[in-house]
Amino acid sequence: MDARGAIEAMVEAPALVVRDVQKSYGGVVVLHPTSFSVTAGHITALAGENGAGKSTVLKIISGQVRPDQGEVCIFGETLSSSDPKSARGLGVAIVPQELAPYPDLTIYENIFVGREIRNRVGLLDRSAMARQARDMLDVFELDIDPRWRMNRLSVALVQIVEIAKATTWGARVLLLDEPTSAIPDHEVDRLYSVIRHLSEQGVAMVYTTHRLAEIQELADCVVVLRDGKVVLESDIADAGEQTIVRAMVGHDMDALFPDQTKPTGPVRLQVRDLQLDRSGPAVSLDVRQGEILGIGGLVGAGRTEVLEALFGIRRSRGGTIIVDGESVVRNNPASSIRAGFSFVPEDRKGAGLVLSRSVLDNGSLPHLRLFTRAGWIRTSARRSAVAKAMSSVNLKSRGLGQLVETLSGGNQQKVVLARWLTHSGRVLLLDEPTRGVDVGARGEIYSIIRDLAASGLSVVFVSSDMPELIGLSHRVLVARAGKIVGELDRAALDKEDAQERIFRLASGQTLSVFGSQAS
Amino acid sequence: MTGETKMDQPSGGASKPEGSKARFDGNQVLNLLLRNLMVLVVVSVAVYFSIVRPQFATLPNMATILIAAAPFALIALGQTLVILTGGIDLSVGSVVALSAMSSAALCVGHPERMWLAAGVGVLVGLTAGLVSGLVVAYVNVAPFVATLGMLSVASGLAYAIGNGAPINGLPTEWAQIASTKVLGLQAPVLVMIAGFLILAVVMTRTSFGMRIYAVGGNRTAAEVAGVNARWILTSVYAISGALAGMSGVILSSRVISAAPYLGKGYELNAIAAVVIGGASLKGGRGTIWGTLLGLLLIQTLNNGLDILVVPSYWQTVISGSLIVSAVAVDMLATKRTSQ
Repeated sequence: MDARGAIEAMVEAPALVVRDVQKSYGGVVVLHPTSFSVTAGHITALAGENGAGKSTVLKIISGQVRPDQGEVCIFGETLSSSDPKSARGLGVAIVPQELAPYPDLTIYENIFVGREIRNRVGLLDRSAMARQARDMLDVFELDIDPRWRMNRLSVALVQIVEIAKATTWGARVLLLDEPTSAIPDHEVDRLYSVIRHLSEQGVAMVYTTHRLAEIQELADCVVVLRDGKVVLESDIADAGEQTIVRAMVGHDMDALFPDQTKPTGPVRLQVRDLQLDRSGPAVSLDVRQGEILGIGGLVGAGRTEVLEALFGIRRSRGGTIIVDGESVVRNNPASSIRAGFSFVPEDRKGAGLVLSRSVLDNGSLPHLRLFTRAGWIRTSARRSAVAKAMSSVNLKSRGLGQLVETLSGGNQQKVVLARWLTHSGRVLLLDEPTRGVDVGARGEIYSIIRDLAASGLSVVFVSSDMPELIGLSHRVLVARAGKIVGELDRAALDKEDAQERIFRLASGQTLSVFGSQAS
Repeated sequence: MTGETKMDQPSGGASKPEGSKARFDGNQVLNLLLRNLMVLVVVSVAVYFSIVRPQFATLPNMATILIAAAPFALIALGQTLVILTGGIDLSVGSVVALSAMSSAALCVGHPERMWLAAGVGVLVGLTAGLVSGLVVAYVNVAPFVATLGMLSVASGLAYAIGNGAPINGLPTEWAQIASTKVLGLQAPVLVMIAGFLILAVVMTRTSFGMRIYAVGGNRTAAEVAGVNARWILTSVYAISGALAGMSGVILSSRVISAAPYLGKGYELNAIAAVVIGGASLKGGRGTIWGTLLGLLLIQTLNNGLDILVVPSYWQTVISGSLIVSAVAVDMLATKRTSQ
C-alpha cells in the first residue's frame, strides 16, 4: 500500500483520494463503498439530495467520523487515525454548514481563538492579531474592520471569515458543507470569488450542494452521490444539466413546476395601505381566490415584513386587511388564524417548529381549538386530522410520535406546511418555502402549493429563488425598499427576459416603466 | 407512513421492523432499562435502605416520607411548569414564608377565620407569582432576575408581618389542615397526589399543557402558531406561586405556627427534583412523572440517611453527590439510547 501510495505521489498525486470508504450506523448503511479523487487547484462539487451521504463523506475526510472500511489520502499521505487533528495536520480544513462563530467577540478574536498570538509576558498581543487578520481579509478583498464584533457580519461574511481562518494555517484541502444554504443570492457571488481565488492558489476545494445552478456556475468537477453511492463523477464540461439532475434525483425533473391554470375566482384578500412603520411606504395588494402571488426582490427589500404584518406577528401602523369582505384585526396572529390565514415562516427551525415536540403536537398547534373541547384535547380527532394532513403532503416519518428535530429538512418543511391543512384556510402566506429543501421534496412542495391554490386558497409567497418565483407564480410583484415597484403577469413571466426584468426592478436599475402597482 | 408509534426508537425500528422481534434483543432490554434509569435509581436506593434498616420499609415510615414530601411536592410541581417554559422561579421559598405569615397573622386569636386564612395564604402566593409572571412576560425581565427580586421582596414582607418574629399561639384548629385524614391518608398527602394527577393530565391532555411545552420549546414558533405566549408565561408563574402558598399553609399548620424563615432554600430542592426528573432548564423538555421521581429520590435519601443516623452535614454531602451522579448517568444513558 505504501509503495503504491508513493508511486501515485510521483505521478501528479491527486490532492485528495477517497478509496472504498464505507460507513453504516447501527446496521443502516449511509455510505456504500465510495471512491473518488480531487485534483489540487480544482473546485469539486459534491452533489446530492439531503440524506445522500454528502455530509458523512466530508466528516470522514476531515477526520470527524471513522469509516468502517477504506481510506482517505491527502497528497499521497494516508489519513491514519480518524481524528480532526491529524486531518488538520495533513492540511484538511472544513467549514461546517451550521457555523458557530462567537458572536460577541471581534473578528480577529474569532480568527485567532485557540492559537492566540502572545507577547513576551504571555499576554495577548491584540494589535498583532488585528494586523494579521487585516492582511487575511485583504486577500479576499473584504472591506471590513477586524475589530468589529462578529455579530455585525452577515452569514456570507461569517462564512468567508471562517474560510480565511482555515486558510491561514495552510489548508490544502478545503471542505465546505452547503456553503450557500444560508446566504442570500446577492452575496453568493462574493463567496464564489473567494472560492475561485483559493482554487487558483492551488487549494483543492470540495463543496456540497443540492442546487443545480451552483454546480454549473462554480465547479470544475462534479461528484454526485445518491443513497450513499457515487453515481456520477465527471468534469463539469462533460456532464450536462440533465445528466446531473438525473443522477441526483434518479429520474427526470421536467415536472418541477406543474402546469398553470388561470385563477378566475373573485378577489379574496384585499390589503389597503398597510403601513409597516410610521414613515415608510404603504403596501396595497389584491389576491384572487386560487391565485398564487409571488413577491420578488432583494433580501432586505421588506418582503418578509409584509408577510409578517399580514399575519399579525409584526406590528403594522395602519391600513386594512380584508378577507372575503370581512376586515381582519391586525397585529394578532390568533385572530389572523381565525380569519383563515396560514403562515409558513422563512426560519423553519427558529419560527416554524417546536423541534423538541412530536409531529402530532406540531401538527395540531395552529388549529388546536378544533381539537379541544373546553380545553381538553380530543385525542382521536386530533390524531386523525393530523395524520390526514401529514399524509396529504406525503410526509416520511416513523409515525406521529416522532420528534420533529429528527426529521430531514424537507420533511420538516412539510410539517410546517401541513400543520395548517387540518383546517381549510383562506389565505396561505409562505416565506422562502423551499429554503434548505432538496430537489425531490421541493417538487413535492410546489405541487402541494399548486393543489392548495387550485382548491381555492389565495397564496402569497416570498422567494429569492428566481426559477421558483417565475415557475410557481400566477403573478409576481417586485419589492424594493419596502415598496412594490413592479408587477409581472403570467404572460410577462413566460417571456425570456422575465428574470432580468425582475432583477432590474429589484435593484432599481431602471424606472418602473411597466404597470406598477401604485402604493 | 403515519401510524401508531408511541415512543421513537432511533435505531433498529426503521431498518428492521419485523424479524428482530423473534430473537429477543439484549440491546433492546438494555435500552429500555437505560431509558427508565431514574426509576431504577430510586428503587435501588429504597431497596438498599430497606435491607440495611428494616424499619425503612414499614408503612408508618412510608407515611412519614409522603408527609414530608407534600410541601416540597407542591413547590416542585409549580417549578416544573415554570421550567418547562424555559424559566425558573427562585421566589417560591420566600413565598412559602410570606403565605404562612399572612395566613397566621389573620388566624391568630380567631379560630373562626381558619378557612379564610388558608384561602388568603394561597391567594397571597398566587399574587406574588402573578407579579413575577407579569414582569417576566410583559416587561421581558429575565425570569432569574424577576424571581430573585420577588424572593427578596416576599422574604422582607414575611419578616415585616411578624415584626421580625415568628407567629405562635395559633388556634389548635389550625392544625386540622395538615392532620385531617381522609381514607387513611393525611390531607397534605392527598393534596400532593391530587396535584400530581391533575397536572399530569393537564400537561398531556389539555391545550394549556401543550402550549406550555410549545412556548418552552420555541416561543417564536408558538406565537406564529397563534399561541398567546405572554398569557402562558404569566399563568405558570401564578400557578407556581399559588402552589407555594398552599405549601406555606400546610407547613405552618403542621407546626401550628409560622416563621418568616419558613421554606428557606426550598426553591433549590424543587429545582433539583425537576432536573433529576429529566427536565431541561432550557425549557420544552420534561414531565410531571419525572418530577415525581426526582422528588421521591430526594425524599427517600433524606429519610433513609436520617434512619441511618448519618449526621446532617454528611447527609447534604451524600445527597448532593448522589443527585449529580444520577443526573450524569441519566445524561449518558439518554445519549446512548438516542445516538
